[in-house]
Amino acid sequence: MAKIKKSPRPQAEIPTASMSDIAFLLLIFFIVSTVFVKGKVIKVAMPKAESIDKIPRSHAVTLYVDKVGNITVDDYSIQIPQVEMVMIKKLQQDFNMITCFRTDRETSYGVMADIMNQLRKANALRVSFEAKRKL
Amino acid sequence: MLRPRKKRAMGGIPTASMSDVAFLLLIFFLSTTKFDMKYGLGLVLPAPTTEETVKVKLKDDNLTKILINKDGLVQVNESIVPLEQLQEKISAMVKKNPDMVIMLKTDRQSNYNNMINVLDQLRLAGAEKINLSTN
Repeated sequence: MAKIKKSPRPQAEIPTASMSDIAFLLLIFFIVSTVFVKGKVIKVAMPKAESIDKIPRSHAVTLYVDKVGNITVDDYSIQIPQVEMVMIKKLQQDFNMITCFRTDRETSYGVMADIMNQLRKANALRVSFEAKRKL
Repeated sequence: MLRPRKKRAMGGIPTASMSDVAFLLLIFFLSTTKFDMKYGLGLVLPAPTTEETVKVKLKDDNLTKILINKDGLVQVNESIVPLEQLQEKISAMVKKNPDMVIMLKTDRQSNYNNMINVLDQLRLAGAEKINLSTN
């Protein structure tokens, strides 16, 4: 009896030639879409808290207040009496604006109270005190 | 006499490890990228006082005064309370009377951090009606 020879099965292979294309595509996507936070002039050590919520970035206007009481908005340094005017302008651009305080832990509360009074005058009533999550 | 020319060997760059390189870079960027999320303690400030503002008198039972002095000591209704016990105390008060308004009065010379710590505890205790003031 003649033996029927089994034909060898073709080896299954995953084509990996385009793997590098995929990897480079992803890499380039991440490189292009990454935005680096610019180094701020003002140095702020934020307080820590537990009951913190996420702030929607699209409506946030960040007010930097450092230890000594220097105030910065959009990289412009301003004085306390100017806060009202700046916030009125910001409120015109976005009605749902939230003022985010990036205030140093050691700032005296008096400065903050004065700023908040200015915010009230400007009718910018939604505020958020930025903090880091307490571990 | 014509001799058949020898074919030159093609010079090739090995691309097999290209995907390894790309993935390595990709994973490096993925793991080192840190998103700058904004987290904070949200609060809505009261509207500015005008001549038309109607003053509402609060009953004494519905008002809790919390004072923070410049050293960070916290006083609740005439008794000094350590920060660790504040949440428990306020939580009991708010449960007993859901209309409780908490007035957080911070000394102008007190650190911002002290105010945030107390505000955090108040929010953890479930207090919703919080009013900030200063002397």
